[in-house]
Amino acid sequence: MTEGQPGARPWPAPGHDLAPLLARVARGDQAAFATVYDHSAAQVFGLVRRVVRDPAQSEEVTQEVMLEVWRTASRFDPHRGSAMTWLMTMAHRRAVDRVRSGLAAAQREARAAVAVTDYDVVAEEVETRLDAQRVRRCLDSLTELQRESVTLAYYGGYTYREVAGLLGVAVGTVKTRMRDGLIRLRDCLGGGS
Amino acid sequence: MKIRREIPHTLAGAYALDALTEPDRVRFERHLAGCEACRQEAGSLREAAGLLAAVSAVPPPPHVRERVLAEAARTRQQPPLTVDALAGPGAGRRGFGWRAPRMAVALAGGCILVALVLGGLFIHTQRSLNLEQAHNRTIATILNAPDATIMSAKAVAGGGATVVMSHRDHALVLTTAMLPALPAGQRYQVWLMGPRRTRAAGMLPAPHRGMTAPMIVSGVAAGDMVGLTAEPASGSAVPSSVPVLMLVLPS
Repeated sequence: MTEGQPGARPWPAPGHDLAPLLARVARGDQAAFATVYDHSAAQVFGLVRRVVRDPAQSEEVTQEVMLEVWRTASRFDPHRGSAMTWLMTMAHRRAVDRVRSGLAAAQREARAAVAVTDYDVVAEEVETRLDAQRVRRCLDSLTELQRESVTLAYYGGYTYREVAGLLGVAVGTVKTRMRDGLIRLRDCLGGGS
Repeated sequence: MKIRREIPHTLAGAYALDALTEPDRVRFERHLAGCEACRQEAGSLREAAGLLAAVSAVPPPPHVRERVLAEAARTRQQPPLTVDALAGPGAGRRGFGWRAPRMAVALAGGCILVALVLGGLFIHTQRSLNLEQAHNRTIATILNAPDATIMSAKAVAGGGATVVMSHRDHALVLTTAMLPALPAGQRYQVWLMGPRRTRAAGMLPAPHRGMTAPMIVSGVAAGDMVGLTAEPASGSAVPSSVPVLMLVLPS
């Protein structure tokens, strides 16, 4: 890890470090779980909805994610990253699983059309956030191919091979752009704090 | 299959973005299991990808909260990962350091232990387990045996194995976590190493997120040890390399 500051990321309510709460959740504390829900559900739902699109399915996936938090809180290791990253990693993975499953197959075409243009919407939402300008500037600092590779994969739920097809570039190029893009994003955001 | 010869490192970005297909992801995680630097890089790229998640907070409708809290109240939680136990104090001994707490598994009903071992280690294989009822029942029988004993061993180069065995059933259930990745074309093979001879006991299943699904080993005799060696993917008749892990079974 380049930083050992769990919770020091641009998540909402930065004063709320979820890690100690998760430790209580792991011991079956339902009140602590409700607090974790209240401090993370909007992030989870927002991300899931962006990837899954369909509101009803997004609610289902959000429910799955939050229950996974409940069931697996004992697995959270604060030394390996922040609580929010742990949680959002699960949320993103479940959202992606959902769009790759047959259930959402019908919506794939539609997503292809909107995934790239969504960047503007994302950027707008970023504006409303505390670290908005920094995140925006960092996204802007990526090359176009890096940014498209990263956003198609992350918000579109596409595999890197599919992204290569959508962008009409070599698979190896996409892999490299994804990694370089994330490294640039990481360094850009880590550098200012 | 095509990515075998490529430098796995280049997949770190796609991995952090969940942009790998399932087989690619399994393969990459196998690579991660044996590469500390890669794990660190993957972790930091995950944090970076997490920034993308931060940009779109939308409160879910209130009924989602009600459902989640109600469902949580009646959902059993997973115990901490056994992997942690493997990396913990008892596993710190040198070489074949093994722990045999001999938890006489007389817990109220085998379901608890099934949940403990399978649920604890293999939440991601539940679906396939459901499809394999017979396999499941055999496992449950072993875990349920009055003389069932659970033990763990740490592999020399990292990772480890957990075994639940029953002499009554002459069988054991073997699971592993975070064993070092093997080169392409190789798999781990399981052996029963007895006082008189060594028998091949099957190939270890491919790991999923670093862990292997429960494997049933039958024909276990008194005095046997369980060994794991790296072998050609097709398996060997006799071990061709030094065991990466040995586990002494209780007599």
